[in-house]
Amino acid sequence: MKEIVNEETVLRVPKWTLSKRKKNISFSNIFLLVAIVLVLFIIASALIPKWIAPYSPTYMNTESILSEPSSKHWFGTDYFGRDVFSLVIYGSRDSLIIGITSVLIGSLIGGGIGAVSGYIGGYIDHFLMRVIEILMTIPGILLALAIAAALGPSLMNIVLAVAASSIPGYARVMRGQILSIKKRQFVDASRSIGTHSWKVFVWHILPNSWSPLLVMGTIGLGTSILIGSGLSFLGLGVIKEVPDWGALLSQGRGYLVVGWWMSTFPGLAITLFVLSINIIGDKLRDTFDPKTSRMR
Amino acid sequence: MGAIHLKLIKWKKLLTITLASALLLSGCASSTTTKPSSEGTTKKEEVQPKEGGELTYALATSPDSLDPHRSGLAVAVRAFRTIFDSLVVQGSDNSIQPWLATEWTVSEDAKSYTFKLREDVTFHDGTPFNAEAVKYSFDRIIDPKTQAKNAVALLKPYESSEVIDEFTIKINLATPSSAFLSNLSQAMLGIVSPTAAEKYGDQFVKNPVGTGPFKFVSWTENADIVVEKNEEYHWGPSNVENKVVPYLDKITFKIIPEEATRIGSVQSGQVLAAETVPPQNIVSLNNDPNQQLLQVNTIGLPYTLFFNQRKEPWNDVKARKAVQLAVDVDAIVKTLYLETYSRAWSPLTPGILGYDESLENKNKPDLEKANQFLDELGYVKGEDGIREKDGKKLILNYVDGTPNREKRNDIAVIIQQQLKKVGIKVEINITKDIASVVQQKADYDLYGNSQVNSDPNALRAFYHTTTPEEEALVKRLGGGSDPEIDQWLEEGTVELDPAKRIEIYKKVQQKIIDEAWIIPIYVFPYTVAASKTVNGIKFDALGYPLFNDVNIN
Repeated sequence: MKEIVNEETVLRVPKWTLSKRKKNISFSNIFLLVAIVLVLFIIASALIPKWIAPYSPTYMNTESILSEPSSKHWFGTDYFGRDVFSLVIYGSRDSLIIGITSVLIGSLIGGGIGAVSGYIGGYIDHFLMRVIEILMTIPGILLALAIAAALGPSLMNIVLAVAASSIPGYARVMRGQILSIKKRQFVDASRSIGTHSWKVFVWHILPNSWSPLLVMGTIGLGTSILIGSGLSFLGLGVIKEVPDWGALLSQGRGYLVVGWWMSTFPGLAITLFVLSINIIGDKLRDTFDPKTSRMR
Repeated sequence: MGAIHLKLIKWKKLLTITLASALLLSGCASSTTTKPSSEGTTKKEEVQPKEGGELTYALATSPDSLDPHRSGLAVAVRAFRTIFDSLVVQGSDNSIQPWLATEWTVSEDAKSYTFKLREDVTFHDGTPFNAEAVKYSFDRIIDPKTQAKNAVALLKPYESSEVIDEFTIKINLATPSSAFLSNLSQAMLGIVSPTAAEKYGDQFVKNPVGTGPFKFVSWTENADIVVEKNEEYHWGPSNVENKVVPYLDKITFKIIPEEATRIGSVQSGQVLAAETVPPQNIVSLNNDPNQQLLQVNTIGLPYTLFFNQRKEPWNDVKARKAVQLAVDVDAIVKTLYLETYSRAWSPLTPGILGYDESLENKNKPDLEKANQFLDELGYVKGEDGIREKDGKKLILNYVDGTPNREKRNDIAVIIQQQLKKVGIKVEINITKDIASVVQQKADYDLYGNSQVNSDPNALRAFYHTTTPEEEALVKRLGGGSDPEIDQWLEEGTVELDPAKRIEIYKKVQQKIIDEAWIIPIYVFPYTVAASKTVNGIKFDALGYPLFNDVNIN
């Protein structure tokens, strides 16, 4: 009898599930660690490229054009004879500037619209949400493309284009969050003791609704860099002395057959950075999302 | 737990995709190194050309117009050369031979030409070809209402035409012109059907009707141009073997601006031929057993960078010289074109009458001297290494068009680095709107262009002083003006003795280079990648492709 009960308990919680669960968690931790290291490295590249890159990004060694990756040139050289590794390191700055500033602009404007819309409600909510919905009918990359083409090539215009394309997402999320917090008991309580409505908004609602925006912004950073690179790839960026990742990718496109390294490494840089940012964003979501934390 | 598990799968997927694409890319690379070299294994077989079939021919840019008189682009000529014939044809030895005109005489003062025309020629729309049609075509070019482009400069100094009888025409010139016959051979002076030109008016651009070996079928903007064989054709020129109806049923000119895609479509068999092969692909194409590479040097004006002499400080010869001495053209040609393009030295390309070989290897890059010139002008290096004068930085506004044709944008990138060494900051402006920025506003310091042409008289349109009226219409490239050059160019047009013309044009070339009006960069070789099944693509004296003999096996 005792034995049977024992068997049942073993069946209910099989050993392999336990071990696998443990393994999964450690796996994700390793990924998270690698992602954080990579992101830190790329941020360092953007801040102090001089200390990391072995060559100047504008130095054209006409004696060794299109040379394969070697110990001298880790990522090979491009058709100008520039060191691709150094170009990727230096190119991170513009890519990050595009990513970070466009997320900041996009989330501030989008979040602002969402907060106002959600808290005030009524006609203003109606009007703002219809505008946002119109913007949402246009795919983000297309919107960015149209804006960049209309404004002409410059770094600031690319930032604006990418930011504008992300505004609707932020606005919707912020509005939803405000709507749900607005109805919570502690807000009602604060209101019932006669707190000014503006104070309620600043002291109680805002602090409790910004975390989804943080998660979205982190993941959005990857998307923004991707869209920004896409725009430069399509030739809507600026021709600068130091090209950003998208422009590097585009330059190597005609040389895929004879010099695969020219666009492979900038492409990998984009992929790995966006992947890392997504991993970190996922982790942040797990931490902030009340649903998943309850599940644990 | 479930959530974590799912996420892991997502990451795994992403990783797999990344790895897969990396492998795919490296796979592409290794294929070039392992490809066996099988050059020279193909046998030339003499077989009767096969009739029928369709040739797909990829063009690098979209033609501006299929009306020969209203076009300004070489790429358009490649398409409408199949639709229009000319009065005469220029052989590979630069001699002028009959085509639609069977014979001609020149008056003693060299100011009028009398042509006897072929009597058995009809236009595609059934209109008979005669002296009236020739008169109509030429009068149409000089009529300002037509808004003709390059054709106007080519037809100069045309004054009027007289119809002597149905098949005899007398053409009167204002001054003698030694380039006139050669210019008549160009497709831009092709003979158009008077009835069609009247009928379509402005729309003739999209409905071209001529006497050529192929008839126009359709033109889908930015996609393709289709022409079909002219069943009546039997008046082919002397530079092709098949003088009657072409073997091909149809030619489709596909517009594929992206160079990797264009060459890729030949290799994958989506098109049978593609023009303008990028240098880095020439090597791999030569090793491809299924492809052939055709190459011909174009003649005329090489790709040349023009200083805008309307702007400070480029109106000063010292500033221009400084740039000329600081730019290492050899490095540009070697790096970007992998020595598949040859370097240009003069305002003219080799192979044209009067080309001055003595200019070759004359100007060597000399940074010291360049610095010295800039010092003398009063430009001093600031803290950032950029020279300035009276608080104004020495900035050179380098304008170029898009797409990056023949890697011209990359030339700008190299020059930017080269000029940094002498303290000149180069700002590169890539614009889609060359017509407005360069031709209307002249808002540039350096801009590059080239022209395919058959006679050194082509220099006149670029380097002869223009009247204010002409400037109001289109700002001449560079805008430089010199009475001596003007005078030589005028002499060159009317001088009939080739030996004297050669001397005149040598002086012109030397002065243009000495005054540093321009920096010549490269001579463009017209390259065509084609499947080995395509036979008989020929090129005329200017390097334009001819399709009369083409057949597909």
